[in-house]
Amino acid sequence: MLKVDAVSKHFGGLIALSEVSLDLRPGEIHGLIGPNGSGKTTLLNMISGYYPVDAGTIRLDDHVLNDDRVPERALRGIARTFQKPRLLGPLSVLDNAMLGGWRDAQAGFLATAFLLPSVWRDERELRVRARELLIGVGLAHALDRSANLLEHAEQRFLEIARGLMLRPRFLLLDEPAGGLTPTEIEHLGTVITTLRDAGIGILLVEHHTDFVFRICNRVTALDLGRLVRHGTPEEVRNDPEVIRVYLGG
Amino acid sequence: MTDRSHILRPVALLAGVAFLVLLPFLVRDQYQLHLAQLIGVYWILIAGLNLVVGYSGQLSVGHVGLLAVGAYAFAILTGRYDVSPVLALGASGALGGLCGLVLGLPSLRLPGFYFAMVTLAFAVIINEQSVAQTELTGGGVGLPAQGFSAPFASPQGFYWLVLGISALVTWLTWNVAHKMWGRAIIAVRDSEVAARSVGISVYRAKLIVFVFSGVTAGIAGALFASLQTYITPDTFVFELGLFFFTCIIIGGRGSILGPFIGTVVLTALPEVVAPLAKLGNFFYGLLLLIVVLLIPEGFGRLLTQAMTRLKPQAAESKVVAPDPARLKAALGTRAGNG
Amino acid sequence: MLTVIVYGLAIGAIYAATALVYNVMYSTSKVLSVTTGHIPMLGGVFGAYFIAGLGLPILVGLAGAIAVGVLFNLLTEIVAVRRVLARSDEHLWLLSTLAVATMISQVMALWWGTEPKPFPRLIPQEFAQGIGDQKYWLPVLAAAVCAGSLELFYRRTMYGKLFIATSEDAFAARARGINTDRVRALSYMLSGALGGLAGFAAGQLTFAFFALGFALTLNGFIAIAVGGLGSNLGAVIGGLALGMMSSFATYLFGGEYQQTVAIGILILVLVIKPEGLFGSKQVRPV
Repeated sequence: MLKVDAVSKHFGGLIALSEVSLDLRPGEIHGLIGPNGSGKTTLLNMISGYYPVDAGTIRLDDHVLNDDRVPERALRGIARTFQKPRLLGPLSVLDNAMLGGWRDAQAGFLATAFLLPSVWRDERELRVRARELLIGVGLAHALDRSANLLEHAEQRFLEIARGLMLRPRFLLLDEPAGGLTPTEIEHLGTVITTLRDAGIGILLVEHHTDFVFRICNRVTALDLGRLVRHGTPEEVRNDPEVIRVYLGG
Repeated sequence: MTDRSHILRPVALLAGVAFLVLLPFLVRDQYQLHLAQLIGVYWILIAGLNLVVGYSGQLSVGHVGLLAVGAYAFAILTGRYDVSPVLALGASGALGGLCGLVLGLPSLRLPGFYFAMVTLAFAVIINEQSVAQTELTGGGVGLPAQGFSAPFASPQGFYWLVLGISALVTWLTWNVAHKMWGRAIIAVRDSEVAARSVGISVYRAKLIVFVFSGVTAGIAGALFASLQTYITPDTFVFELGLFFFTCIIIGGRGSILGPFIGTVVLTALPEVVAPLAKLGNFFYGLLLLIVVLLIPEGFGRLLTQAMTRLKPQAAESKVVAPDPARLKAALGTRAGNG
Repeated sequence: MLTVIVYGLAIGAIYAATALVYNVMYSTSKVLSVTTGHIPMLGGVFGAYFIAGLGLPILVGLAGAIAVGVLFNLLTEIVAVRRVLARSDEHLWLLSTLAVATMISQVMALWWGTEPKPFPRLIPQEFAQGIGDQKYWLPVLAAAVCAGSLELFYRRTMYGKLFIATSEDAFAARARGINTDRVRALSYMLSGALGGLAGFAAGQLTFAFFALGFALTLNGFIAIAVGGLGSNLGAVIGGLALGMMSSFATYLFGGEYQQTVAIGILILVLVIKPEGLFGSKQVRPV
């Protein structure tokens, strides 16, 4: 389990998060919603390691993550996507996805330079796995296309595939539905629920609240860095405080 | 990487290799052979530097300092300590790698401009010390450097030595560039954020590549010294480091062939077009500026783009269509291990 | 001994002025230009050219040197910075300014020559005045003028406040209607003037020498690294400190160790406190 325990974060005088707790279990989709400035992206960035924690702990099972840097958390099985997709433009979709397999690549620099057998094993295994994941998320048609030629939706799905190459236990999605058409959002939902059913714990930070309420098992709502409500989608959606924050202000 | 295999490629490669091997018999005079040897020596350094600049995106302008280290090491070892040239060659490579480590350790954590300036500073120190340490380096007067013994003693023999080492270094860098390590360092260049998010230790990757480039620079330095038969501090000026760097940028980052062509063209051009020789660095600076402003990906990228345009393009689908069953299967080999 | 100190202050003043130029350009463009050191170089070369070469009056020579600085830096902004900033690639400006620096360096080498040439006496004074010689205190005066006028500019003038707004948050500045392109161009012109002035004042110490360009780019950068990027106080202190240490190093070990010591200082600072004495650590959000 990924446990966020009374975590706080401030930037100078600005309080971004104030004693927020949540936990992410394998095989569930946990939605994280809130208006702009509520701290949801900040929280995601803290879980993945980009911002240090000012107070509180973030735990992966028994291990405290607070001091682990971004690559270390990735290697522990926490994958993420970005609000603005971070892809390698000149490389193909397949190469971009294979990047995610770094964790499993055995060959070191010299072994690679001298083309030792481990290099061929890595390439073969990671290529096959990347292909399957890419086809699975829906990019079969674009495997050899340069990433800088991709449509927005394709970019987002590619990032998910790359994240999956880490064989992650937890996947943090940073507003993956941003800029997607309704059909594409449906496809996104299909992919995310498939991941959930395979046992991955998914943190879904999103603005599309309908989408969140539709596919999430649990939802956490934030406002101005505080936890407003936490529970099932029905509980959160009908909570008067949540309604006020979203519709009243 | 996932490139298409052209019929053109193996044929072109074979023709190229044949040309290079037979070159000593094809050139008209000693001068042209010398030029070819120089290009080869430069390429040994530039091929390694290419991984640093072109692939991992670290803008080192001071590699001439590492060239100087290799050159002086070779000259001193073979001259004063009577070490065999082949052994000295290896030692120069090792020393180059060590200096690369010493230079890279503090500097690779720094942002781009800072890093570039530190590499420049390194070249300046090496230059200053090669003048100052007269005992060791002969000061401003310089040192002679030995040639290799048979079969590399003759110009043709030396050429084939350089060719062989260039080919090896090219092969090594090609391999790195086209496998997982290549993807990783391209990620370091284009998106450190993406690199870290998949577990790459960015600093470690930069450092390893940089040390490798130090080894190739050291080897190139040794061969350079032997080729020139005499080295002085004036040989290793900042402008030469700039030249190496420019070959890569003009040839195109993320390419092996591009910088190679860049090296050949930029080394040969001033020899062939006399007025350009007088302009010297102005020409390289102008080319660099033009490339940066108009074709930032370099000429190499233009080439590959032109080649892809030659192939018939099928109508491209852009629709994302997930296959849940296949996705599930692809995830299957997990069993909850993180 | 006194000469060592005075020399250190003078050379430190030139480094400080170069560092100030770096700061001004960086503040509005977030670009550290390789051409920075070439501005004082041009100030010195053209000062010598106008006064000694063309026989123009000293004040005309001074105005000319400043004008050259302004023009060169404006040109740099237009050619090497503006277009490049529009693209997403982070370090393209490093390449473009490196290219411009190389070109101007070579042009100067070809036109002015590769040997350092003497710079004319600006104020009637016997040669070899010892520590009172104008070649020492003119650079210090120029650096003081640069630093002082920048302080006044930032605090008291409207444009100064515009510069600060742009440097703190270019996006917000644009949103408020500030023409950040024009602000940037103006800041380059201002810094070009300061650099030209400093180079002119330092001419008697450094001689009119094309190789000064890259040397000042490097040493001015070391001053910035020591003092902290973005801090004008840091620029001055860093420059003076660097000048003094170089001077003492030359005195103690000989001139052949000058750059080595300077760079040693750089490495030390970068390892211990990379943001410099007065610089701030920057948080980089995702």
